[in-house]
Amino acid sequence: MGLDYKLVLWSKYKKTYDKIIAASMLLYIILFAAITLILNSETSIETIVIRAFGSLAIIMLHIILVIGPLARLNISFLPILFNRRHLGVSMFIASFIHGGFSMFQFHALGDVNPIYSIFTSNMDYGSLTNFPFQVLGFFALLILFVMASTSHDFFLGNLSAKVWKRLHMMVYGAYALIIAHVFLGAFQQETSLFTIGVLVIGFILVASLHLITAFKERKIDNAKTYKKEGWLEVCNLSEIEEDKAKIFTVNNERVAIFKYEGKLSAIHNVCKHQGGPLGEGKIIDGCITCPWHGYQYLPSNGQSPPPFEEKVATYELKLVGEIVYINPKAFEEGTEVKPCKI
Amino acid sequence: MTSGQRKAHQYIWLLLAIAIPLVMIFAVKDLAVFSSKDTLESTLAGSKKASLKSFENDIVKTAVFEGYIEIILKATLKNASSVVYEMDEKGSKTRVIGQLTTAGIYEFNINNLPKGIIIYDDLKKVEITKFLF
Repeated sequence: MGLDYKLVLWSKYKKTYDKIIAASMLLYIILFAAITLILNSETSIETIVIRAFGSLAIIMLHIILVIGPLARLNISFLPILFNRRHLGVSMFIASFIHGGFSMFQFHALGDVNPIYSIFTSNMDYGSLTNFPFQVLGFFALLILFVMASTSHDFFLGNLSAKVWKRLHMMVYGAYALIIAHVFLGAFQQETSLFTIGVLVIGFILVASLHLITAFKERKIDNAKTYKKEGWLEVCNLSEIEEDKAKIFTVNNERVAIFKYEGKLSAIHNVCKHQGGPLGEGKIIDGCITCPWHGYQYLPSNGQSPPPFEEKVATYELKLVGEIVYINPKAFEEGTEVKPCKI
Repeated sequence: MTSGQRKAHQYIWLLLAIAIPLVMIFAVKDLAVFSSKDTLESTLAGSKKASLKSFENDIVKTAVFEGYIEIILKATLKNASSVVYEMDEKGSKTRVIGQLTTAGIYEFNINNLPKGIIIYDDLKKVEITKFLF
């Protein structure tokens, strides 16, 4: 959480994360080149670069796409989610090298503009198996470029979390384009059951995890609620751990009800930074702390402690015996609500 | 995520879970490894057309017919460029007949019966294979 914009807010964890990314990428490229040269010593350097970085980018994209649902299903994956943007930018760099070398190798040595050549060198747009697959890769790279270049918190703060999230959900479109790019391109020219199988398994894994998470979340959204004189019954007080929260659905929106210092407070569950689930975080130093990137909010008013300006909606609670009730009507973001005493 | 974002994610992945497998299936169904047809079987097998000349080695199988030549490339070559040339009596390249890309059956028009053909990598300037009829 930073007040001003810096290129990278380095921390010990981010440095370690980035070192692991860089070392893994380097190791993969070296291994790929070595194995390729052992199997076919005549392979040109350009071809090795194109194939190594292309396959690396696809592997990284799969890893990026499974991090979100894995972290929803099991909180032990949260540390990987913490710096996912750096992984995304690294993946874009790998894609850019693949795309750049491909464009140079196949389109830059003629007498037409290389980008124009991508669209016109093969005009068989009506065919499926002879489709100009490079066009698909070009559009995917364009999407990845937009995402990588707007990944910084500066754009997140200025575009608003909603617009930024929509923009970055374009990664799913890029994923579909990349799968089609590979199946209609590389797999048509060099058919290998192994590589086809790996990509099919990768897709099944990514799609299954996203769908399992989506249906699990939908189940939570559709959970039955019991209303009593305008108040919704949440749970028994004992179900909420100290300094932690119980997440409850009110009018399709998630609310986090925190127990701390003999009090209860409720705030909207969605962090203003990147939409992280606040109710899965803890109270640290008196503040609700988002488990994704550590953004903090005061439990009583949903405001980030000064000088930060993020704020979320708050809710009124009441305790009848051991049962916690919530008023489903949300207050304006940042409204002070007296905590419910236990 | 907000309720709207959760719904959007669910619909996007339902759509992708249907669309991507369709693309995968249509893209690979005719590939040699999945197709029940032997794609390297001559299209003229069983026809009454008789070949004037024919030749076969580990890389290609070829047959010359009246007005055209059929070349069956048995496996995709590792060369980035594979150009088919007519060959003269001296074993030199004369006219370009066509280009080979992936494994499969190719038909090229020819005016006269060539003495032979050379498959040549124009980028690396190396001969891939050649044969005299």
